[in-house]
Amino acid sequence: MLLTEQETKAFTEKILSFVKADDVSAGVGSDKLSHLRFAGNNILTSGNRVSRNANVTVWVGGKRGAASTNDLDDASLKDMVERAQKIAATAPVDREYMPTLGKQEYKPVNGYVESTANLSLSDRAKAIGSIIADCEKNGVIGAGFHATRVQAGGSLSKNGNFEYERSTNVSLSTTARTSDGQSSGYFLRSHFDTAKLDTKRIAEEAIRKALEGRGARTIDPGTYTVILEPQAVADLMGNLGFLFNARNAEEGRSVFSLPGGKTKLGEKMFDEKVTIYSDPWNAELPGSQSAQGGIPAQRITLVKDGVVETLTYNRFWAKQKGKEPTPGPVNTVFWTSGQTNTVDDMIKSTERGILVGRFWYIRPTDQRTASSTGLTRDGVWLIENGKIAYPLRNFRFNQSVTQMLGPGNVLMVGRSERVGGSEGGGSNASLLPALKLKAFNFTSQSEAV
Amino acid sequence: MNFSRREFVKTAGVAFGAAAVLPSWVYDAHAAGEALFNVNKDALADAALATAKRLGASYADIRINRYRLEAVNTRERQVLNVSSGQNFGFGVRVLVNGTWGFAASPLVTAEEVQRVTKEAVEIAKANAPYQKKKIDLVPTPKVVGTWKTPLERDPFEVPADEKTTSLLKINEAALGVAGVNFVNSSMAWVNEQKYLATSDGSRIEQHLVRGNPSFSATAVNRTTGDFQAVNSLREAQSIGYEYMSKHDWAAEAKTAAEHAVMKLTAPSVKPGKYDLILHPSHLFLTIHESVGHPTELDRALLWEANYAGTSFLTPDKTGKLQFGSKIVNFVADRTQKLGLASVGWDDEGVPGQEWNLVKDGVFVDWQTTRDLAKVVGRNKSYGCLHADSWGSVPFPRMPNVSLKPAAGNVSQDDLVAGVENGILIYGRGSYSIDQQRYNFQFGGQTFWEIKNGKVGGMLRDVAYQSRTTDFWGSCDGLGGQSTYEIPGSFNDGKGEPGQSNAVSHGCPVARFRNINVLNTASSPNAGQMEDDH
Repeated sequence: MLLTEQETKAFTEKILSFVKADDVSAGVGSDKLSHLRFAGNNILTSGNRVSRNANVTVWVGGKRGAASTNDLDDASLKDMVERAQKIAATAPVDREYMPTLGKQEYKPVNGYVESTANLSLSDRAKAIGSIIADCEKNGVIGAGFHATRVQAGGSLSKNGNFEYERSTNVSLSTTARTSDGQSSGYFLRSHFDTAKLDTKRIAEEAIRKALEGRGARTIDPGTYTVILEPQAVADLMGNLGFLFNARNAEEGRSVFSLPGGKTKLGEKMFDEKVTIYSDPWNAELPGSQSAQGGIPAQRITLVKDGVVETLTYNRFWAKQKGKEPTPGPVNTVFWTSGQTNTVDDMIKSTERGILVGRFWYIRPTDQRTASSTGLTRDGVWLIENGKIAYPLRNFRFNQSVTQMLGPGNVLMVGRSERVGGSEGGGSNASLLPALKLKAFNFTSQSEAV
Repeated sequence: MNFSRREFVKTAGVAFGAAAVLPSWVYDAHAAGEALFNVNKDALADAALATAKRLGASYADIRINRYRLEAVNTRERQVLNVSSGQNFGFGVRVLVNGTWGFAASPLVTAEEVQRVTKEAVEIAKANAPYQKKKIDLVPTPKVVGTWKTPLERDPFEVPADEKTTSLLKINEAALGVAGVNFVNSSMAWVNEQKYLATSDGSRIEQHLVRGNPSFSATAVNRTTGDFQAVNSLREAQSIGYEYMSKHDWAAEAKTAAEHAVMKLTAPSVKPGKYDLILHPSHLFLTIHESVGHPTELDRALLWEANYAGTSFLTPDKTGKLQFGSKIVNFVADRTQKLGLASVGWDDEGVPGQEWNLVKDGVFVDWQTTRDLAKVVGRNKSYGCLHADSWGSVPFPRMPNVSLKPAAGNVSQDDLVAGVENGILIYGRGSYSIDQQRYNFQFGGQTFWEIKNGKVGGMLRDVAYQSRTTDFWGSCDGLGGQSTYEIPGSFNDGKGEPGQSNAVSHGCPVARFRNINVLNTASSPNAGQMEDDH
């Protein structure tokens, strides 16, 4: 069911042969998703899904139409093309039309591992059975989700650009709750190589957090020094890369906008310990070989030592502004040119602060300042005199993520590890460190566990 | 406003065997590509269910579904995208040794149905050794029937140029307002054609349509670097293309644009305690988050503990917990006209129905499915099982959860008249709530100061934060039927793998006393406010 490179080429060539248009881009994709969900120390649901899809975008006399289908037989592909052409026939002229790309050279990334694609049902069941047994042994109630996904597909343009990619991903998250419902722990990790997914660590961390979180106390909300574990950083920073959009900044509606149509490009907007880049060939976090618009992805640096180095231009906006389109981002790597510290170092150096393991339900409140609200979840601790003093009940926060990473507010940076935002459930990941931040705004308490 | 089930285009009857003669498939005969989806669903279903039974399944169902989507996106005076998509496939769910198994494929052929059914059974059998408590189902009557969303004009028959023209007219109305720099508009239309066959003998075909037009107008002050946006207040509904003519979208866009400009110079709210008047265009999302989700029984039983979360409500609180003030009554209703979650039957053959969740302020009942009902000792399901695709495992999803209006003819002005120091809020803004649904914070689109019983000027940077039962306990005024609207959410996420559900929340305008209001404009101490406890 998964498309090979040859099949991808054959299908996209066939779609193009059905089209009568000035310009065309055709794509096909395929995936296999296999998942197991457990809760209450019990199996909940489990399933496999295979799927395929095709899409086409046509331009006729500068007018654009797009259509898709998940049936790849000739009749369905012809029907898809007819729908796209019918839309183009009556559409207004596409003012942002850019000719499809001619042949490009892609440097392959290595994000596909055969053993991840072929994980057996019995091996997975055994691994989950072991986690449930560990939860029972420790007197906690376990829930979690294991998923493997394989994707393969590509595209072909009328101007001669063909690309094909395939990738794998396996993720496991576990929540452990004490039987009295007063404490909860969570841990999530993912990898493209199932051999590198440490299922034992995931279960142990979730159980440890639940057990150590018992007896949580209440303290007043306010501005605190915080230590954010990598999961908490991933939850907050998951969408940060999207903010670096040049068009929004130049149109005056972004955190990177300045009065008079200027932008913060080149400004030291972040702490000097902050460098953020995208690297398609990172060994731990392979990105896509293809960036926006199909241009070959390259390593790009968004923030270097605190300075905004890149705002991203799509092909249309780059042409309008006389710039080159940006070959990324295709992933997010947080790095520091200074020294790194462990979470233990961060705790030991803290007179009074709060350790946060995870954030939840984060939603933007003010685009002008990249501010969000959300809550802590599954593990918060008070730090006093260099030690964890006791667990805390949860807080709501209101915080600007750019101010959080602003000059002087980043006190320590950990070593980055592969971690994904928990609202994404392990479907995506970044390389992010633990952070010690001077000030973070908790605005109210939540009794939720 | 509740809609009688008799008014739906529906035929139904009790089937006494799987071989009962079915109505023809409810596909739109004029739809593009119709012939491509003309498979013998009954024969495929018979094969799947027989195979599942032979391999040891105590229960099985198969859904053969086709989904169509049309989307149009524009900005200012240009069309960004018009797309048409369709998706066809089937999913087989089996219960073997008290363990669920599921498999799905887009190849709707006899051979693939056999393969997928066997795969679903293999999955269930692989996991069964670790199933500590076996899954079981409450019974539901066999049924053969069809159901369609009532609509006047099929959006999939409306030409693309009519859709783009309609959106560009909205944009033009907004751009005609001095000071407005940007406008985005879009519409999305979904058509679900669903076939369900269960090993209980049910055979059901449903044809669901829903639409989600929306826009956003943005004003930028280039001198100060400030920008403010106002989004449309109308929300998604189960309705045909007549939605575009029944509401004056262009007039609303002009008003929204004027409000976006006004917002640039509106005073920033002073944090503190205020009485709130919440318009239905805003209140529906507060209901969704603080009432809809905590009354999902799967959350209370920890089934969502790893993702969406659990609930502050627990089975022992049923019929006892004071959820809100005595005027607060919430009904769950899968038959409500225009309701996004309205159906003839759910995805395991349980009829759409209406029941109380909160009555006279007391929490009285749950949202259930056949397996959940069994866990808590009920003998029937309320019909809340739903899958967002043929390829997704059906699981508990929210019905329309609606707040009943006041019996009398109470207007918004009547409620405002009783407020000395308050804020009137329209539209959905930022929304966030904890994993047990206690602590929430909601923004909106436009905010208006209320002083001494009168609505005054606009405010900005407003969000309110409260605790669910405190908030609903502070509700001391509801509008009457004339203020009632049925806004809804097109995409409500839940579950693992993540699924999207469309759901509506009918409500009147309502008044809440003494609620914490924050200022969301960021400063080094952004959002600092009094604790709410």
